[in-house]
Amino acid sequence: MGALGKPIILMVAMYAFLKFGLPNIPGSAPLPSSLIFLYLLLTAGGIFMFKTLSGESKDAFWDPIRRFLTGENIGGLQALRYGVFILFPLLVGWQTYGSTAVSDLPPTESRTIHPAPPGEYTGLSNPVPKTPENIMQGKGFYAAYCSPCHGGNFDGKGPAARGFIPAPANFADPTTIAMLQESYLFWRIKKGGVGLPIEGAPWKSAMPRWEVELPDEWIWKIILGEYDGAHQSPRTWE
Amino acid sequence: MKPANRIMKQVLRGGTAAIAAMIIGGASLGYAQESVSVRATLLTGGVPVDDPSAAVWSSAPPATFPMSPQVHWQNRIQEVTVKDVIVRALHDGTQVAVLVEYTDPTQDPDDAAALEFMVGDKKAHFAHGQPMLQVEGGPVNIWFWKNKTGKAIDMSAKGFGTLKPQEHQDVTAKGVYSNGTWKVVFARKLLTGHADEDVQITAGQFMSISFAVWDGRKDAVGELVEKGSQKAVSSWWYFRADAPPDYSGYMYAAIAAVLGLGFQFVLIRKLKKGQ
Ligand code: HEC
Repeated sequence: MGALGKPIILMVAMYAFLKFGLPNIPGSAPLPSSLIFLYLLLTAGGIFMFKTLSGESKDAFWDPIRRFLTGENIGGLQALRYGVFILFPLLVGWQTYGSTAVSDLPPTESRTIHPAPPGEYTGLSNPVPKTPENIMQGKGFYAAYCSPCHGGNFDGKGPAARGFIPAPANFADPTTIAMLQESYLFWRIKKGGVGLPIEGAPWKSAMPRWEVELPDEWIWKIILGEYDGAHQSPRTWE
Repeated sequence: MKPANRIMKQVLRGGTAAIAAMIIGGASLGYAQESVSVRATLLTGGVPVDDPSAAVWSSAPPATFPMSPQVHWQNRIQEVTVKDVIVRALHDGTQVAVLVEYTDPTQDPDDAAALEFMVGDKKAHFAHGQPMLQVEGGPVNIWFWKNKTGKAIDMSAKGFGTLKPQEHQDVTAKGVYSNGTWKVVFARKLLTGHADEDVQITAGQFMSISFAVWDGRKDAVGELVEKGSQKAVSSWWYFRADAPPDYSGYMYAAIAAVLGLGFQFVLIRKLKKGQ
């Protein structure tokens, strides 16, 4: 089998990587299908070159393909052969249609959820001591200012959350504040959605710019209350 | 021909998996589109600019958008009457009409609704396009209807406290209340010639739209509950006026398919002759 098996596995793996793997790498976006098609074509071309250039594998690779295409001694595969002949032009047509048709979909938006903070907001440590009173005060402020969106249970499901896209962050989720330093939270809470850089899609975030309403000290207390209430701890390494 | 058989089975399996993946991927994209945009259906003949109950509205696909109490900036409100708006739109190449429909248990003089559009290519922050700190934003154009006046005001804003009526009033609106439901139709020309303050609607292109609603009910002491910034708001969504149908894609596809067929034919001829 070997001669064709590996190339096919490679193609499927490549497709899976382009479609599902690549979009998950930070800073990248889902690829348009036309680009995926192009990359697959290039991969196929590469495999083809490799296989036809190395002498001894050449025949093992080519022979089954040639026999299949010409229908020589392939017995029960004859029907499949015709199927391929019908499918191939249709596929070419479909691909062409896809690449010329005007998309019915709104522009794809990829939002970087945790963009880099401005320099002055890296490495700040919380000046407010982590005492029970401070945590309690922070939770009080949280209940007053943050819970309408982020929820009384810190789960992002506040009574006002339903209309906001992106949804208010769920602090109990390990991919939000548990991944972040207190310094980062301080930046996000002070500057809100309008403080985000372009890759954070600032026009969409309803996160308020709290610096216009809350003193810094309150914000640091809220951070204490937020971690405590969501049962998370800040990321500490630099 | 055992090896060939096995190989083809593999091809088949790989192909099926790839096609299944494409279908799954495609299906989820198709679904996303439904809820995130208002599509203005192209009509021939007049757009019902002042008739929220016209039968032709049923030819426009409805899109539902969730609303939140405005808790983003001062003055806030923690609870609002309207939880969703249903939006439809029609255009005829010259005029566009947008129908906003929502549930409101009482008709009050201070009931009001508004559409907000981004103006130009620059993105605007959802709350009246307030200045963003790291990104240069654009202004917004607001079409504001009030039950009391029965009219629309065409307004501009770029940030809080900058909202003002425009010199050129291009928008009309008409609201009809029945059975606990408001239907408000906003209408305007697709293009106005004031591209710096009005949204210019080009068929086939996506623009950004958002919604606001005020229930003009009063509290026990006769004060308005929802007023000014105390209202129901939506996030930014997309709006697009349908372009006239374009069938050239089918033609290109047919040509490509014929070429594919020809290629196949030549290839097999060559392979057979090569024997
Ligand atoms: C109007 C609704 C709203 C309110 C009120 C609000 N937020 Fe947010 N917040 C959001 C939204 C929406 C996001 C997600 C988008 C973003 O990251 O900007 C967010 C994101 C955040 C993040 C970033 C989390 C992450 O994983 O990157 C933090 C931290 C945060 N909010 C803290 C607060 C605090 C503290 C308060 C109260 C002082 C508050 N928020 C009040 C809407 C709100």
